[in-house]
Amino acid sequence: MGLLMMGVGVGLLIGSSPLDRTLADVIPAPIVFIAVVIAGSVWPVMLLHLLLAFPGGVLVSRLDRVVVRVSYVVFPLVTVIAVALFVAHPLLGMTSTVPQVVAVAAGVIEVAFLLIGSGLVVRRWLMGGRARRRSMSPLLLAMVPLVVFLLFYFGGIVRYQIWHIPAGQSWEVLISIAPLALGSGLDMSSVGDLVVKLSGGLAPEQLQPALALALHDPSLEVAYWLPAQGWFSDLEGSRMELPTPDSERAASMLGDPEGPVAALVYDSSLVHEGQLVDTAAAAVRMALENARLQVQLRAQLEEVRESRARLVEAADSERQRVERNLHDGAQQQLVTLLLSMQATKTEAIRRSDRATAALIDANIAELKQALGELRELAHGIHPTILTQAGLVPAIRSLTERCPIPVDVRGDLGEDRLAPPLEATLYFVVSEAITNAVKHSKARQMCVSLGRSSDVAAVDISDDGGGGADLSGGSGLRGLSDRVAAVGGRLVIKSDKKSGTIIHAEVPCA
Amino acid sequence: MRVIVADDSVLFREGLARVLEGAGFEVVGQASNADELDRVVSQVKASLVILDIRMPPTQTDEGLVAAKRIRREHPEMGVLLLSQYVESHHALDLLGQSPDHVGYLLKDRFGDLGEFVDAVRRVGNGGSAVDPMVVSQLLGRKRSRNLVEDLTDRERSVLALMAEGRSNDAIASALKISPKTLEAHIGTIYSKLGLEPAGSDHRRVLAVLNYLRSS
Repeated sequence: MGLLMMGVGVGLLIGSSPLDRTLADVIPAPIVFIAVVIAGSVWPVMLLHLLLAFPGGVLVSRLDRVVVRVSYVVFPLVTVIAVALFVAHPLLGMTSTVPQVVAVAAGVIEVAFLLIGSGLVVRRWLMGGRARRRSMSPLLLAMVPLVVFLLFYFGGIVRYQIWHIPAGQSWEVLISIAPLALGSGLDMSSVGDLVVKLSGGLAPEQLQPALALALHDPSLEVAYWLPAQGWFSDLEGSRMELPTPDSERAASMLGDPEGPVAALVYDSSLVHEGQLVDTAAAAVRMALENARLQVQLRAQLEEVRESRARLVEAADSERQRVERNLHDGAQQQLVTLLLSMQATKTEAIRRSDRATAALIDANIAELKQALGELRELAHGIHPTILTQAGLVPAIRSLTERCPIPVDVRGDLGEDRLAPPLEATLYFVVSEAITNAVKHSKARQMCVSLGRSSDVAAVDISDDGGGGADLSGGSGLRGLSDRVAAVGGRLVIKSDKKSGTIIHAEVPCA
Repeated sequence: MRVIVADDSVLFREGLARVLEGAGFEVVGQASNADELDRVVSQVKASLVILDIRMPPTQTDEGLVAAKRIRREHPEMGVLLLSQYVESHHALDLLGQSPDHVGYLLKDRFGDLGEFVDAVRRVGNGGSAVDPMVVSQLLGRKRSRNLVEDLTDRERSVLALMAEGRSNDAIASALKISPKTLEAHIGTIYSKLGLEPAGSDHRRVLAVLNYLRSS
């Protein structure tokens, strides 16, 4: 920024006549003349560059970069051509034979670029946050007379054929007001307000808005450092990336560099308000440390929740794997054995060996019993109908086997739930029915299903003697854990008069 | 009778083919997955396909899907779906689309060869065969208002055999009763359960199963 400002100053000095002529007269060489002309023409571009990069010193938008770069080429070029043709300085050994229209065209090109540049400055102001607008506003104000000037310039050309007002000089108007911008620092009184608020106690979620207010930057964010994870996080525990140096955002670290507590992420226009940011940061440091502990806790909880869900999924897929191994392995082999025993029996009968055929029959009966037991075992591990047809048919299948009449009401909509949710609700219904059959002396049960846009729920009720609770040695405790593992909840209401209602709901958005 | 056999285990297919051929069937094609089965079915003429409900690639319900597709695309060809575990849901799913030419049996049914062969013939000849386990589960289902309990034991046996897809002749000879007595039983069953008398045998299967499942 400093270099740019110096460049503008020197350029302005050189470019203002009659210094350029004087300089060229002192050292009478064409090369010096051209150098002086170029130096004198390039300062408006440097000023534009300065305005667009203010205050961070970096051109962030691609459009800004393109316009500034092209201007750096166009301005000297146009000026050199115009001067060479129009002024026809004797040092260049030329005479003025060129039509005015070329010079006018040069002026128009310059003015056009300056108007585009002004537009970009306004755009930056519009797109900026409050802090940037605040620091840019005086510049914008200064640009009003500039634009008016330019309009007059064009008006002059069109109306009165006045050609000779150099467009570049219009920027001098701007220069006279620009310094206002540098003095537009944010005041410290807002940080005082922040300290007062802090003494009254600020909840972690109030810290960010309070800081944003104190630093006049609504886009300000607090990023908390999580040492265990090695990354920054917002208050909710979601990961945050700090801004890269050449973006429109900047960050200040709080705490020592080895172990930061948090970082403030704000609009890069606040960079030159270092002292203010530091003061505000120092004021909230204790509060931020507290908030960080809370964030850490949340992040850990989230991790535990995720790992619990993973455990449930792993257990489910293990059950499925075991069932599949039984199905493709032992069950299939026994069935194949059954077939081969039938073939052997047919052969025995063909040879009229009745005794062997009878022996084989006895073996077949035993084999069928083994197959039956194996089938029940596999089904208990993982009911295939759950994967084949979904939760509702699987629940109906459960109720068809239940020794107490069970009504199934409602449904869960067209789309199937995710497999872990289906399995969770299935095991809830299965365990609830088993419990009711074993302990409740119920004569009637009811399974109600329901689903809204984000929750799927089952209610299993019976007219038995109650007595179901989570503390007992029943499977209900494990069920409650399982439901919680997928982010849902299990509620049990059980008493002697009205029986037991087990309600389970899982999020399914 | 010409039969196609589909299962992903070659040992099982060979065993089944041997048993079927021993019982007088002609095994004219084999397939180890649904795609292969589609090819065989379009190339070979057969009375029915015997296939496993679980086939590659997902080992869930590829067989069921293939069975329904074959019934749609080759109405003259029967399908007999085999499974290690039977569910009334699948039985009605399969029968609901077209109750004729359809069977659904436990793989254990090879244990009683006569019954199994009978079921294969029935499906091959356009009838239906529903596994006794599906039927007994539905019959034994506890209901709050249970009209099935009003049936006599004999009537319940008749109802079970009807639900399995047996013809009147088969039921009469299985229960060793005269066709006339059977007609009388069936009439009583329909009036006790409040069922409309159904036309053909397989329509009857569907009506009875639906009643047992939904009542």
